[in-house]
Amino acid sequence: MLQHYLPILVLLGLVLGFAVVNIIISDLLGGHRRARGKAEAYECGMKPVGTARIRLSIHFYLVAVLFILFDVESIFLILWAVGAKSFTQAGVGLFVFTEIVLFVGLLVLALAYAWRKGGLDWDR
Amino acid sequence: MTTQEIAGLIDQTYSPQTWAGLAPLLTLAGGILLLLFVELFERLHPLRAPLFLASLIGTFLAHKYAGAVGPILGGSYIVDGATVAWGQLFLASTMLAWFFARQYYRTSLAFLGEHDILLLTAPLGMTVMAGAGDLVTFFVGLELLSIPLYCLAAFRRRRNDSVEAGLKYFILGAFGVALLLYGAALTYVGTGHLDLAGIAAGLEGPGRPLAFAGLALIAGSLFFKLSIFPFHLWVPDVYQGSPTPITVLMATGTKAAALAFLMRFAAVLPGSSANLIALLAVLTMAAGNLGALVQKDLKRMLAYSGIAHAGTVLLAVAGTVAAPALAGDAIQAVLFYMAAYIFTAGGAFGILAWLEADGDLFTRIDSLRGLARRRPWLAATLSLFLLSLGGIPATGGFLGKWLVFSVSTRADLITMTILGVLLSVVALGYYLRVIVAMYMEPEPAELAPPMTERAWATFGTSLCAWMVLILGVLPGWFLGRVF
Repeated sequence: MLQHYLPILVLLGLVLGFAVVNIIISDLLGGHRRARGKAEAYECGMKPVGTARIRLSIHFYLVAVLFILFDVESIFLILWAVGAKSFTQAGVGLFVFTEIVLFVGLLVLALAYAWRKGGLDWDR
Repeated sequence: MTTQEIAGLIDQTYSPQTWAGLAPLLTLAGGILLLLFVELFERLHPLRAPLFLASLIGTFLAHKYAGAVGPILGGSYIVDGATVAWGQLFLASTMLAWFFARQYYRTSLAFLGEHDILLLTAPLGMTVMAGAGDLVTFFVGLELLSIPLYCLAAFRRRRNDSVEAGLKYFILGAFGVALLLYGAALTYVGTGHLDLAGIAAGLEGPGRPLAFAGLALIAGSLFFKLSIFPFHLWVPDVYQGSPTPITVLMATGTKAAALAFLMRFAAVLPGSSANLIALLAVLTMAAGNLGALVQKDLKRMLAYSGIAHAGTVLLAVAGTVAAPALAGDAIQAVLFYMAAYIFTAGGAFGILAWLEADGDLFTRIDSLRGLARRRPWLAATLSLFLLSLGGIPATGGFLGKWLVFSVSTRADLITMTILGVLLSVVALGYYLRVIVAMYMEPEPAELAPPMTERAWATFGTSLCAWMVLILGVLPGWFLGRVF
């Protein structure tokens, strides 16, 4: 039973080996030009050194949550759209359509809620 | 799979039976969505309270009339007598939390509508947990319960202790869920199944060791929610920091939900693990009772007492693991114990929420001194709850303990049962101390809680008191209605 998972172990070894070998090779073959900016950790535009307790706007979080909401919506809608025609042929088109309408309705309610509560106003 | 086959599957899955089984969940979900809609318009806000109560009552009726329809949705959700009974208990727990939350919040008034919506989401998750026939359904239920509770624990967001409680609960809860998922993955590798029946059958296969490691991890995550011995340290801090009405829900409903699935899950566990579970039960009782003895804060003391109660009821789980033939008696004992505990602990925390009214000073035992002279009825009711928690006869708590110990005795876990009974006696020490403070000590000059009258809390408290008495005096009434 367990030997079926041997390929996963092999893959793990390959991945680790590839990463380690590449780091070593680039260190051996590549040029070295030291600079202050290059030695700093890359942190997406923030200062990498200093207190970590800076306040971020809660809007980043809200936008991320809303993004996930509609991200998931589009994934489900695509699945339904691809299968819609054959579902109709199989005689369950109406049922599946009702389900997807309900699903979109829920998300519309969520959007209306976020909108009404000011989740979409960036300047508040 | 062709579309034709999918269509057949849809027809087969969505039978009238399925809809009947899902009716309580759909009613509750519909109530939540309506509340969310009401929240959008200022003019509709007076509808919040009636809608909340209507959702609870509607769901209760759906449980009652749809009844136990058996496994639905391909066995991933099981609606048996236990699911229906648990579902109704969860509704009771939520209703109590809501009663005590009325007029509780004095400072942070923003998002009170969302408070109710989150509160109503919790029993939905709990019911899914109680009926889960496979680990994925259980996971969905667990998250549906946990995420609202994380928010509610931190609901008084201007207060450090509330935010601390929410954060601690969130981080440790995430850890518990990670244990569950890791365990489910290992179990799947070992047995090839995620449904409980399949796992039980797959345990005979060659993947046995891996599956056992997985089952242990899943049990660990359940023990975490249930606050069993090595996983109980978060409880006092979280219970103390959370708003007290939310503590009502966490102490009663969440525990009951974890226990509901644990009773199903126990059927999968090998009989040889019964001794270990019984040992954990006794250690939990020891940790809870000894911890409670030294507490000066009533909320913290009740949290430790909740740990001890989780240990007691775990003895019944150990009993059903040791002797699967006792499963019917064990589920009956556990249901009765938790029903009594929901109304007892719910009432005790509720009185605390009432007296304290969003002022943390007044949860100290010192502040209850001389309460019997100022508010005789309140002191008498709190005494009733404390006596029931201690297991004095003629209260629901006594019969719950009796049923649990009788299951563990019949399962031949004699030593652990004796230790459990002895530890229950220790518990009386700290319950009686509060009663002594209320009846025999002089009133403090500065610590006395303000005299507040709150209609909803009065109603909730008297409901709890009646239920504790009814369960203690007429247990047949409850058991007859449940089974």
